[in-house]
Amino acid sequence: MIRFDSVSKRYPEGREALIDVSFKVEAGEMLFVTGHSGAGKTTLLKLIALIERPSGGAIEVHGRDLARVRHRGIPRLRRDIGMVFQDHRLLMDRSAADNVALPLVIAGIPHEERGKRVRGALEKVGLAGRGKDAPAGLSTGEQQRVGIARAIVARPALIIADEPTGNLDPQLSEEIMQLFVSLRQTGSTILIASHDLALLKRMKQRVVVLDHGHLIDDVPGSEVA
Amino acid sequence: MNAQEAMAKPVRHSRTAMWRRQHAWCLRDSLRQLARRPFGTALTIVVMGLALALPLAFYLLLVNVQHLATALGDSQSVNVFLKTDVVADAAEKLATTLRARADVGTVTVRTPRQGIEELAAMQGFGDAVKSLPDNPLPFMLLIEPRAGTGRAQVEHMVAAVRAMPGVDLVQDNGQWRARLDALIAVGQRVTLLLAVLLGAAAVLVIGNTVRLDIRSRANEIIVQQLIGASAGFVRRPYLYEGAWYGLAAGLVAVLLVLLLEAVLAAPVRDLVASYTGRLHFGGLSWATLAAGWVIAVVLGWLGALVASSRHLLYPRS
Repeated sequence: MIRFDSVSKRYPEGREALIDVSFKVEAGEMLFVTGHSGAGKTTLLKLIALIERPSGGAIEVHGRDLARVRHRGIPRLRRDIGMVFQDHRLLMDRSAADNVALPLVIAGIPHEERGKRVRGALEKVGLAGRGKDAPAGLSTGEQQRVGIARAIVARPALIIADEPTGNLDPQLSEEIMQLFVSLRQTGSTILIASHDLALLKRMKQRVVVLDHGHLIDDVPGSEVA
Repeated sequence: MNAQEAMAKPVRHSRTAMWRRQHAWCLRDSLRQLARRPFGTALTIVVMGLALALPLAFYLLLVNVQHLATALGDSQSVNVFLKTDVVADAAEKLATTLRARADVGTVTVRTPRQGIEELAAMQGFGDAVKSLPDNPLPFMLLIEPRAGTGRAQVEHMVAAVRAMPGVDLVQDNGQWRARLDALIAVGQRVTLLLAVLLGAAAVLVIGNTVRLDIRSRANEIIVQQLIGASAGFVRRPYLYEGAWYGLAAGLVAVLLVLLLEAVLAAPVRDLVASYTGRLHFGGLSWATLAAGWVIAVVLGWLGALVASSRHLLYPRS
């Protein structure tokens, strides 16, 4: 599903965000990427979504070599990835349902089917019946759930989340993470960047540890303690 | 259908249907965005409408001047007034001489009696003619140059006629017509220039409005790009927005011109009636108004295209 082969990323100002990083994620697997602030977690996710291009090495997603994906092909690649952001990135002037529906609108899904799938996604994240609510009327945790519903509504094979619990209290963080674990049952591959080590230990999933751009550890779920 | 079923059922859709649905959404979204700020939208429409109405109004003026020129005759005819002592035989002889020229098409002899009757028939002259003790008008020869005769040849013929014995005054109708045609040509250029300048102004007005809209919706644009919207999808609502502006502004411009026509029709009709009664005040044709409207839509779309090309920068990676 995802293969990083000696991937490096150096930003134009000279900062080395990733250095010679290699790992593989199988289809349907759930993986946490952790490390201190500036370790390269966000850069790693950006490379997968082609928000950035690597300076060296090769990345393969869904069997596609990302180096071969041209600029025009990026939107199609991103439509196959569900993205969850730390700050939710919801459109505050639209309802929760309209936010969730956006990937389906972009994909040109018919109105009736869109409605069904939006209701299904909201139900899955525990927000059934809240579709008409404006994001401003929802709590931070609910806003993040809307963000997750938007990421899963188009049934992507891959979901990536950048610090999805970064702004949430411990109890809400646990709930959100459990939600991701439940999404894994749909067969999606899930990649989550998080610096919350205590939370990751409770999740018992595979963890990749980054430090100053280097991959320093890759711990299977069974060995996380 | 529960959440699991709703999420799991795969459905295939044709590309054309997807494209149509995307357009329908973008069209509705653009209208929604315009409705969110009614005052600003109305202001932009009125400004653009006024800018487009001005060249249309000039064109209306030009069309009526052309009507006037046509009504007054478009031939290069030459009126030759003979001296008052020239009698009918001499006038006919002169006409025969002129008919023999290669540059002359027809020569019509108008008697003093025909002339006074024509003058009496014209509005405002009836009483004046009746009060005359006798007919002061001379014989007149109406020369129509041969078809295809150039302006220089006509002028040459006029000079020759002036030198003929018995000729008192030669009136070259083609001369004022040439001047009127030159004035109309200047008017056409001015109208075209005005249309181009005000059209460019309309493009800039819409471009600036769309630019501000793009700036205020930067977050939405970024989100759309991150979740897989193509460049075309992101740009489409703004193009529709420009076209909506053009559509509404075109309607304003057309209504303003129709209002102008309605306001001017009566006084202009009274004015021209006081002359010959042959002239009429004509409005712009529906085809012209429709073309103006279509151009307004194109200009609005163009303004949005320029703004979105310049300000919708897709992240290069």
